[in-house]
Amino acid sequence: MTNWFRQHGFALAAALVHVRRAPGSFLFNILVVAIALALPFMGMTLLDNVRPLSEQMSVDPEISLFIKQDVPRDQAASLATPLRELAREAKIIFVPREKALDNLKDKSGLSDVLATLGDNPLPDSYIVKLDAFRTAATGLDVDVLAEQLRLLPGVESVQIDSAWVKRLAALINILKLALMLLAATLGTVVVAVVFNTIRLQVLTQREEILVSKLIGATDTFIHRPFYYTGALLGLCAGGLALGGVALALGPLNNAIAEFARLYASEFRLAPLSAWPAAGLLALSAGLGLIGALLSVQRHLAKLN
Amino acid sequence: MIEFQHVTKQYGPDATALRDVSLTINKGELVFLAGPSGAGKSTLLKMIAAMERPSSGQVIVNGQDIGRLKAAGVPFLRRNLGLIFQEQRLLNDRSILANVMMPLMVTGAPRAQAEQRARAALDKVGLADRADSRPLALSGGEQQRVSIARAIVNRPQIILADEPTANLDRASAERVFDALRAFHSVGVTCVISTHDEVVLDGAARVIHLRQGALE
Repeated sequence: MTNWFRQHGFALAAALVHVRRAPGSFLFNILVVAIALALPFMGMTLLDNVRPLSEQMSVDPEISLFIKQDVPRDQAASLATPLRELAREAKIIFVPREKALDNLKDKSGLSDVLATLGDNPLPDSYIVKLDAFRTAATGLDVDVLAEQLRLLPGVESVQIDSAWVKRLAALINILKLALMLLAATLGTVVVAVVFNTIRLQVLTQREEILVSKLIGATDTFIHRPFYYTGALLGLCAGGLALGGVALALGPLNNAIAEFARLYASEFRLAPLSAWPAAGLLALSAGLGLIGALLSVQRHLAKLN
Repeated sequence: MIEFQHVTKQYGPDATALRDVSLTINKGELVFLAGPSGAGKSTLLKMIAAMERPSSGQVIVNGQDIGRLKAAGVPFLRRNLGLIFQEQRLLNDRSILANVMMPLMVTGAPRAQAEQRARAALDKVGLADRADSRPLALSGGEQQRVSIARAIVNRPQIILADEPTANLDRASAERVFDALRAFHSVGVTCVISTHDEVVLDGAARVIHLRQGALE
């Protein structure tokens, strides 16, 4: 085991020596790979921020039921009974038109404008909160229920508040797919850059490799420093890309803050947490390793 | 220890490097290979080091059939060989000490132990005080002695030297051969190809090759 560690220590030291001999070239390659990684990393950061938001919204979908203006209050209130029969597991809240107007005044900041209207234009309404509804996939049940509610006497209109959640979920799925394709494409770019870097290293160290073979070095011993170089390149580029994305979130959040404020939201983009970031670093190192493996297998085989 | 049985090596239909060569080199022998350029001396040495495989016949080194030796087994065979070339093949980007340490590092020897043995090997060839120099700072004769130190640092059973004094003056050549004779005197088998008539005159055993065949 000690020998195993010693061999890997030697390989890592050899890789660092090779990097030190041409630091400019290595740094440039890190930059190229980091640029390729930054785009999918940014996409993942955005999705990571948006996903919990959409999940939270889909937990408590609502159906709003608006009563006709000419329906008296007691008849409107009596609709609660058939509503409970139709939506047994739902939480049903009656919102009188006066309360609806007060809410509108409080939340919109348009109390002055609303005061000029004179009569309250809002109808009595019900909010049906469906606890059992969890995902967009069960949205079909909500549609059926909404149709049934629409047929109740005195009902003017029914609005399913989950519709836009379904659209958001579908949009996120499309974004995820696009991101995966982008990541696959740029992952290939990373592998290609590392492949070429290692090819150049093999060429510049040709004499050392040949001498090593003549003095009894195994292929594994010769290949290992190149693997470390590839993994190191991927790791450093991954770190740089993550750092770049985290820095970019600052100005992006300034713009988002203004937009979110319009919706009375405090939404901000946060950098990836430790575990996903560690996963991306491991993935970057893995891509570097794959590039090095392919390059070494191809180019060192020619020296045998 | 080294046995050639009806060995032929062809690089193509019209290029035969060795023709039906049969010979035995015993443990501890000092053998010189002589012959004009293109006689097959280098090919014979390369076969012992498993750098070439016979087209027909058998080459046995330390009990291993070179023709059947798997690629993974070649490094382990070479760890028992010390190879010295006409052009020294030293790495100019590192010190002489680092060059001599290389055969030990590839076996996974601890650095301190490798350094100690490399310094001892350099001492044996009279270059202990140049350990930290770069190869290009040394004369051709000194560089060849460094390559001898690299060849013997692993305490090999066999030393193979291909024209080790071809580019050296008489005094430097003598020092190189003195070093090789010193290792032979402690039981190391040495197979040396050379054109040096002075050396061949006093040799106990000389194998003459001409156009790939034994004379």
